[in-house]
Amino acid sequence: MSIPAKLNDVLHEMPGIKVRMMNERRVRVDLSPDTLPALLEILKGRLGYCHLSAISCVDWVQTDQFELVYHVWSHMLKTMVSAHIFISRQPGQFISVYDIHAPAGFFERDIHEMFGVHFEGAPNLNKFILTSWGGPPPMLKSFNTREYVEKTFDWVQYSPDWLKDIEAKGGGID
Amino acid sequence: MSDIRPKYKGSLLRPMKALSFLFREPATLPMEPREATELYRGFHLNDWEKCIGCGTCGEICDNSAIRMVDIPGLPGDPAAGVKARRPAIDYGRCCWCALCVDICPTGSLSMSREYVHVSRDLDTYLILPDEAGMHGENFQKGWAKSEDSDLLDLTRRAMGELEAEARSDNFNEVTPGYDAQTALLEASRCIQCGMCHEACPAHMHAPEYIRAIWDGDMERAVGEIYRTNPFPHVCGRICTHRCETACSIGRRGDPVAIRWLKRFAMDQVEPEKVQEIALKNGIAKSTGKKIAVIGAGPAGLTAAFDLAKLGHKVRVYEARPEPGGMMRYGIPEYRLPYDKLDADIEVIREAGVEIKCNMRLGEKENLQNLRKGNDAVLISTGMNLGRSTRIPGSDHPQVASAVDLLARITLGEDIKAPKRIAVIGGGNVAFDIARSMARLQRRQYGAVNMTVLALEERGAMLADEAEVTEAADEGIVLVNGRGPKQVKISNGALAGLETVKCLSIFDEEGRFHPRYDESDLVLHKVDMVIEAIGQMSDTSWLGDDLTEALEWRRGRIAVDDDGRTSENWLWAAGDLVQGPDVIHAVAAGHKAAASIHSAVAAKKGAVK
Amino acid sequence: MRPENYRPVKHPPSHEYELYFGPNHPGIEGNYAIRVRLKGDVIIEAIADGGYLHRGFEKIMEERLWIQNVALVPRICVPDPVPMEETYSRAVEMIGGLEVPVRAQWIRVMLLEMSRICAHLFTFGGNAATIGLYTNMFWGVTMRDYFLDLFEEVTGARIYHMFITPGGVRRDLPEGFLGRLGNLLDELERRMPEFEDLFFESAVVINRASGIGIISQEQALSWGVTGPNLRACDLPIDLRRDDPYLVYPELEFDVVTVEGGDALARMMARRGEVIQSIRILRQIIARLPSIGGAIRSPLPNPLAWNLPVGEAYARTESSKGETAFYIVSDGGPRPYRVHVRGPSSMHAVQVLEKLLIGARIEDIAQIMFSLDACPPEVDR
Repeated sequence: MSIPAKLNDVLHEMPGIKVRMMNERRVRVDLSPDTLPALLEILKGRLGYCHLSAISCVDWVQTDQFELVYHVWSHMLKTMVSAHIFISRQPGQFISVYDIHAPAGFFERDIHEMFGVHFEGAPNLNKFILTSWGGPPPMLKSFNTREYVEKTFDWVQYSPDWLKDIEAKGGGID
Repeated sequence: MSDIRPKYKGSLLRPMKALSFLFREPATLPMEPREATELYRGFHLNDWEKCIGCGTCGEICDNSAIRMVDIPGLPGDPAAGVKARRPAIDYGRCCWCALCVDICPTGSLSMSREYVHVSRDLDTYLILPDEAGMHGENFQKGWAKSEDSDLLDLTRRAMGELEAEARSDNFNEVTPGYDAQTALLEASRCIQCGMCHEACPAHMHAPEYIRAIWDGDMERAVGEIYRTNPFPHVCGRICTHRCETACSIGRRGDPVAIRWLKRFAMDQVEPEKVQEIALKNGIAKSTGKKIAVIGAGPAGLTAAFDLAKLGHKVRVYEARPEPGGMMRYGIPEYRLPYDKLDADIEVIREAGVEIKCNMRLGEKENLQNLRKGNDAVLISTGMNLGRSTRIPGSDHPQVASAVDLLARITLGEDIKAPKRIAVIGGGNVAFDIARSMARLQRRQYGAVNMTVLALEERGAMLADEAEVTEAADEGIVLVNGRGPKQVKISNGALAGLETVKCLSIFDEEGRFHPRYDESDLVLHKVDMVIEAIGQMSDTSWLGDDLTEALEWRRGRIAVDDDGRTSENWLWAAGDLVQGPDVIHAVAAGHKAAASIHSAVAAKKGAVK
Repeated sequence: MRPENYRPVKHPPSHEYELYFGPNHPGIEGNYAIRVRLKGDVIIEAIADGGYLHRGFEKIMEERLWIQNVALVPRICVPDPVPMEETYSRAVEMIGGLEVPVRAQWIRVMLLEMSRICAHLFTFGGNAATIGLYTNMFWGVTMRDYFLDLFEEVTGARIYHMFITPGGVRRDLPEGFLGRLGNLLDELERRMPEFEDLFFESAVVINRASGIGIISQEQALSWGVTGPNLRACDLPIDLRRDDPYLVYPELEFDVVTVEGGDALARMMARRGEVIQSIRILRQIIARLPSIGGAIRSPLPNPLAWNLPVGEAYARTESSKGETAFYIVSDGGPRPYRVHVRGPSSMHAVQVLEKLLIGARIEDIAQIMFSLDACPPEVDR
């Protein structure tokens, strides 16, 4: 299991990059946020990494960072590079890669909506899913769904006959 | 493959062929109830006979669709691990994943082969499933428990032990304890149902400390253990583990090794740290009240520990040279090393309990003095007299009592074990003495000749299974279904033990009343007979007046639920009240302490 | 009543108007909406508007145990649930280093291909309905229902199977199942010519679908189009080949490509895939009986199951395209983060918005269905 030589060469042109082979078709790279656009550009231009499969965002509360993961696939090398960057959580801000990969438009919009990360230069950061939501970005770890649900909704109160009988005898739902 | 795109403009007539469908059988089915496939996940079925109300189905449920309903009148038995409650399913929330079926420890839950429930009445969506199913129409079982889909780990991680060779001539501890990885895996089997907590006489927080062990947080585990038990090293080794009997995993597999896990957690934490954790809530300000405890066994020391933490001045009087009672003088060292017992007692001392050893009442101190000098007195002197079979010849000097011998071994007396020994009894004490004496035999002669004669058949032994198999490994012979007839004596020397075949042990009313086949006689040629058929308490030291004044129940001091005797200054707890068992004694110690605390707190002024 | 987010154009020129298309329009797949601005009946702007099916899966999954999420994931895509189960489980297996027994892998491939056929049959039906051919819809749904009967036999459920778990599957196949699957495949093969008569070679369909919603190869690659939609642009890209998983390398099948990139080509690509799936299933029917062994590797008690720290990105070729899960574990009993990449999140938003420009109002439904966009995948 080793990284294709061409890919290895290209990756190591990036300053301060850490490369790890996860399995035969998955490469994880860690790099500084400012070098990410260059990496995507160079991978796309030279090795056919033209398919941006997804951009994933992870909210790391303990280190007060957002992790952004760009999954790009080369139809040529048949290898996926997942580029991990960490950005500060306050404010969550990064530059859009829409110019390099058009699918980024959707993912950035989604991350903006769910995590509140602002992408400079993104074509459209309007709300998409939670159009009438006024609360905080819900995918943040600080947003507690259960708490919200308990506060907002009531549990259904059933009282079928069998339960009434049991309650009359002193039993009931635990 | 690019050629599959039609090159022509298509036909207007060909769709007309579909008209032929007018003459075909319809694909739809009539709207009648029909049975689904064999694995269908329809509505829940629950076998109430099998269900133990553990609530694990509710734990695994994705959608909080399962809630447990307390049902008065249902037989519940904490000791057997059965709760009087059954799951109710909310079909407004259920998603039919059947994880509840796959995890159910008993296999009582399954799902029916019924498709449809339609109703405008919301209340019909909450059901208490039984075997008849949602609409009582007895649709067959669909998805049920199978080996493939079982989610529980039913196999216990084995506890290693010293090879028979390495252990049978010494008193080194037989079991080495779990290693970290094994303990973690064993702890991960627990489903946190809490049956063990209910079954434990002391209501130990086993689910909590098992979870802490799984989390790798041993100090938290020790904290959970010390909430209810000041003898964790002891109970981690020799407890009768009612918890494991009640364990839900034990319904279809091996119960979680709760006892070994407790031991593991205790062994992992440094004694100083244990002391710190045990006393982390501090010791209350002195109340000025004085309490005397007679007998430094598990009941007495537990009560003393509780009372000392509450700020009372507690002094424990112990007749023997060291504290611990039966834990030290009854249980062989290979099962419970003395340093572990000492560690537990050290924590109790650290709480401010004063233990005065070699203080047999009636010799240097007496009960009347203690009554005068203290606000309350607790007696917890245990059961340390061996019962005798009273068969002919049982008064011969070569007929010994198991408890006496065990105590003498602990005291370090030089005991000469004869070459051939027979032990009468089939309980744990019989095996304790047999295995101890066998060790001495092997030490002295390099060979074992030890026979244990049990009244019970092999399948109904009172002793723990581990004791029986380990004894066999050590070369001890077990003979089942034999009752003692007489001790044969020739020329003043013990020549052997004659036994008869036991036909039945209990009479029709379930009382102990063995019947024998007197014609089936066997003579076991031995040099010594040890009786291990039970213990009793020595209460002669109470004195005539007190014995007269106290209420008694079947030969034992009568106490109320909190351990208080008919004399309002006197409490009694432990083996002498309820028969031998460490964890019961611990539980009784707690109760007595709580009762004493509230009684002395209500009393005005202190004893001068 | 107008939806809350409805914002009419302030000063529309008299010949332009705005239409809120959806969310319960019969021409919309699932609950979804498109805000279209029209000049006459030609669309000059389209804005996709989702959120009607948002159930917060990604968030809820962070609060469920690893095993509990098995019950959740199939719900992300109603017509094609199996790839969701497969992808989730595979990502968990990648993090936990779990082996899937070979027999379980074969069973999983079988389920995946059955699900692909179901989804495509559903799409044929839906697609036909958008141009008024309801008979074909009934046929598609009927054939799919026969497959659902088989799913019910294997998994105990018809739609949301919740059957693939990390480490394998929940049950072995019932007695005689492969035979019944073979019979149904025979039946489907018998029926395919009838589908051709009614649908694929009908003049109405060919005329209505040709030249509609054309995607060029360059556009397809740069917009993130995947699955049959991509292969309908004559691009032989298929994850089962390029990023293989389970036992796909052992199976023979063609990557179906069609020229044209229009709605008709996309439908033809799906038809071709049904044929290939039948081919794969036939191989499975032949091979599976000789593959023994367990169907699940042992898992710890699910209530006390921590996965090691790590992350994994698993991808599956579903009937809609590239389905992927990015899962992060912080070493706990629950996922720290699950990101679901539904293929339709490309097709139903950016691609659809672009394709609709210049199309006529009556083709909106046709274009959406030809992309086989699945709104719950977008909303998650």
